[in-house]
Amino acid sequence: MNITFWEILSKFYEVTVFVYGITLLSIYALLALFSFLNIRLYLRKESYTDYSVLVGSPLAPGISIVAPAFNEALTIIQNVRSLLTVDYPKYEVVIINDGSTDDTLQLLIDEFSMVKVDYAYDAKLVSRPVRGVYKSTNDAYAKLVVVDKENGKSKADASNAGINVCSFPYFVCTDVDCILHEATLQKLIKPILEEDGLRVIATGATLRLSNSCEVDGGVITKIKAPRPLLARFQEMEYIRAFVLGKMGWSYINAVPNISGGLGMFDKEIAVKVGGYDSASFGEDMDLMMRMNRYTKENKIESSARYIPVTLCWTEGPTTLKVFMRQRTRWGRGLIQLMYIHRKMMLNSRYGRAGMLIFPYNFFFELMAPVIEFTGILYYIYLGVTGQVNWPYAIILLIFVYTYSVMISTLAILWDQLTFQYYKTWMDVVRISSMVFIEMLIYHPLIVIFALRGYFFFLTNRKHSWGNMQRQGFKKAADAQPVSTPAT
Amino acid sequence: MWNDLTGLIYSAYEQFSYLPLFIEIALAFIIIAILATIIAYSVILYKRWKGYVEDKRMAFISPKIEEMITEQVLINENLEKVPVEEIEFDPAALNDKIYKKAWVRQVMIDILIQYRKNFRGEVGELLRKLYLDMNLSKDSFDKMKSVRWDKKIKAVVELTQMDIQISDVTILPLTNSTNPSLRAAARNAYIQLSKNEPFKFFDIATEPILPWDQLELFKIITTTKEIAIPNFSRWVSYSTNKSVVSFCLKLIAHYDQQTAVPAVMELLNNKDHYFRADAINCLGKLSAEVAEDRMVRIYNTQPLNCQIEILKAIGRIASGKQLEFLKQEFLYSPNFDIRMNSARSIITHNTAASRAIVEELIETTHDENRLIISHCQNPLIKY
Repeated sequence: MNITFWEILSKFYEVTVFVYGITLLSIYALLALFSFLNIRLYLRKESYTDYSVLVGSPLAPGISIVAPAFNEALTIIQNVRSLLTVDYPKYEVVIINDGSTDDTLQLLIDEFSMVKVDYAYDAKLVSRPVRGVYKSTNDAYAKLVVVDKENGKSKADASNAGINVCSFPYFVCTDVDCILHEATLQKLIKPILEEDGLRVIATGATLRLSNSCEVDGGVITKIKAPRPLLARFQEMEYIRAFVLGKMGWSYINAVPNISGGLGMFDKEIAVKVGGYDSASFGEDMDLMMRMNRYTKENKIESSARYIPVTLCWTEGPTTLKVFMRQRTRWGRGLIQLMYIHRKMMLNSRYGRAGMLIFPYNFFFELMAPVIEFTGILYYIYLGVTGQVNWPYAIILLIFVYTYSVMISTLAILWDQLTFQYYKTWMDVVRISSMVFIEMLIYHPLIVIFALRGYFFFLTNRKHSWGNMQRQGFKKAADAQPVSTPAT
Repeated sequence: MWNDLTGLIYSAYEQFSYLPLFIEIALAFIIIAILATIIAYSVILYKRWKGYVEDKRMAFISPKIEEMITEQVLINENLEKVPVEEIEFDPAALNDKIYKKAWVRQVMIDILIQYRKNFRGEVGELLRKLYLDMNLSKDSFDKMKSVRWDKKIKAVVELTQMDIQISDVTILPLTNSTNPSLRAAARNAYIQLSKNEPFKFFDIATEPILPWDQLELFKIITTTKEIAIPNFSRWVSYSTNKSVVSFCLKLIAHYDQQTAVPAVMELLNNKDHYFRADAINCLGKLSAEVAEDRMVRIYNTQPLNCQIEILKAIGRIASGKQLEFLKQEFLYSPNFDIRMNSARSIITHNTAASRAIVEELIETTHDENRLIISHCQNPLIKY
């Protein structure tokens, strides 16, 4: 019997995809289990935790909130007021005006009585030059610091400048337009203070979309599921990624990254690894990778932790164009990251980061769109050449569909068990309905945009940061939206 | 009919058994996935319904309990006329059959704890008496027997809040539990409830006092009036548990225990540099002038974190004897943080001599150092 090379290749591909699929589905099942156990543990602890011991304590460690702003004139005052409402005994808010071309800086100066001060700026981390540091003459805003710098065309560059002026041992990185829960710092510092034997170098919490929420004075007054379809898909994706994925990874101390939207970091380690890399397209994951590498190379027993509560609301893209730009950048960031840190791949020297986090990201995050896309092409080929057993093929498709529906539904269930953020049934239905159509509408877009990002990386295409049309919130509806860099 | 159904199932099974294994597995998983999805949505539905029902029940029972507490305790006509232990409650109010239900009793306990936080003195004592007379302490002690650690913690918290004695035999082993949460709750309870030796567990602690636990203990120790504060230097000298020593250093600084200075100075020889930094910090807060020379002597052999703590400590002690040392560090250290902390400490002295040094430095030093001085002098920059 003659077997051609093509037939051997086909067989190899089929077996590989089969093993790949089974492994991926098993990982999702394990993550669902781990996240459930982790959430249950968290809820039990929360049931008797008294955060007032932290709020009034002179032993509470200081925390700096770092929030870069570029052309945020529409919402900057509301955003800064929101950050100043955080409930914590010892913190500062560092706003970095990243060379805005609108009147963001002037608005801050006028609203918060800021004056330029002689500030001894120590550029431990690389960034574009700082033009000045501002402090308020009004005691009510003593916690506020504004750093004015030249535009560095990236959040990473602005964040580095902000970290350079941080006074405290921990810093929280967020986007200035993000709305933080008032207990954000209390909740994020707790895993750091309660870890036994390990140094917790970073903590993160769940993010949600603020698109349809009601906001007053920079504070969320009513949480609502997003109304625009694209934002609703993203909200469901965030719930699955944070509540099920990251909580699962956190349970086995293998958190792959802390979201750029909200994360608390150990400043000493972050500075030692050189802070954010402004050349990176996935700067948040890149920082986490380097911090992991540093601690392993220096034999520091470390961990990163996630908590299941939502502490941050961010505005998600509602147009396909902006969404495409965002996801293309994420795709490009991922492949760039895998390339830069390739030394970690299956390297036992880096512990879980090398043996688990990196291989997972490589095979099941980076390669997934490639496998899916080639799989579809192969399927079409088999279909055209009459080699598909259609009844079996349909059964397998139904299997994949029902399994993905189950995993996403479990994520929603875990989320509902944690805290019932949505007050109405309709909001739950709005999010749940996305589970059933995600695979048909949203998922293909994610795959295409990720592949586009890979292509841009491989062809070294020049990156354009583009603009995201911020909608602002209801209270600011009468003002005109302004352009800001896409996040 | 029955035969038709069994026949259909048998025929489906027969067909199923002829399918390839991976299709059989896929079909099995389809059924599992569909069932799991249905169950998940049912649980969501149930949870939301349960939440709604609980809200309604709480809206009904909470005012009723609060009304009872108000009548029996807050506006009790015998209050301040008769000793608390002799006050009798209205049996009809206490024996209402609604208070037999477990969930109502739990709500009652939670509300009583809230009231106890707000009322001290005789009202607080009467709330405690109500808790005992309704036999709610039995509910709490029953929870202590649970195998679940979170139930045990809830019980410990309830009994502590209601100032009910837990025997040493029960609570002391829990202060060294391997479960960090249970250990912390037991330690908090022990400090509040033990009348004779509230810090006894420091002697037996082999498990660490985590930073979060330290926050809780610190609050309890510094806010509970009845606790007799010991000399914490005894644990600084003899404890082998690093976290106990580290916590005691914070308490020594808080209570300004000057007699502890020699014991704290002994830690300057410790191999762990984080530990040494804590000790230096404590000496600074104690304004231990006697330690200044020693700290300056060891300065050059220390890692950066200890060096910075020494500079801060000298600023806090502000004896004026080390101004020249600070000046030299400011002028010649290549490290930015060293220069910044030296400048801060010189300025903190706020004496004629220190002001003269600042003037001199502004006149003679380079631009970056001048900026550091200006930064440290600016009252708007607080940290």
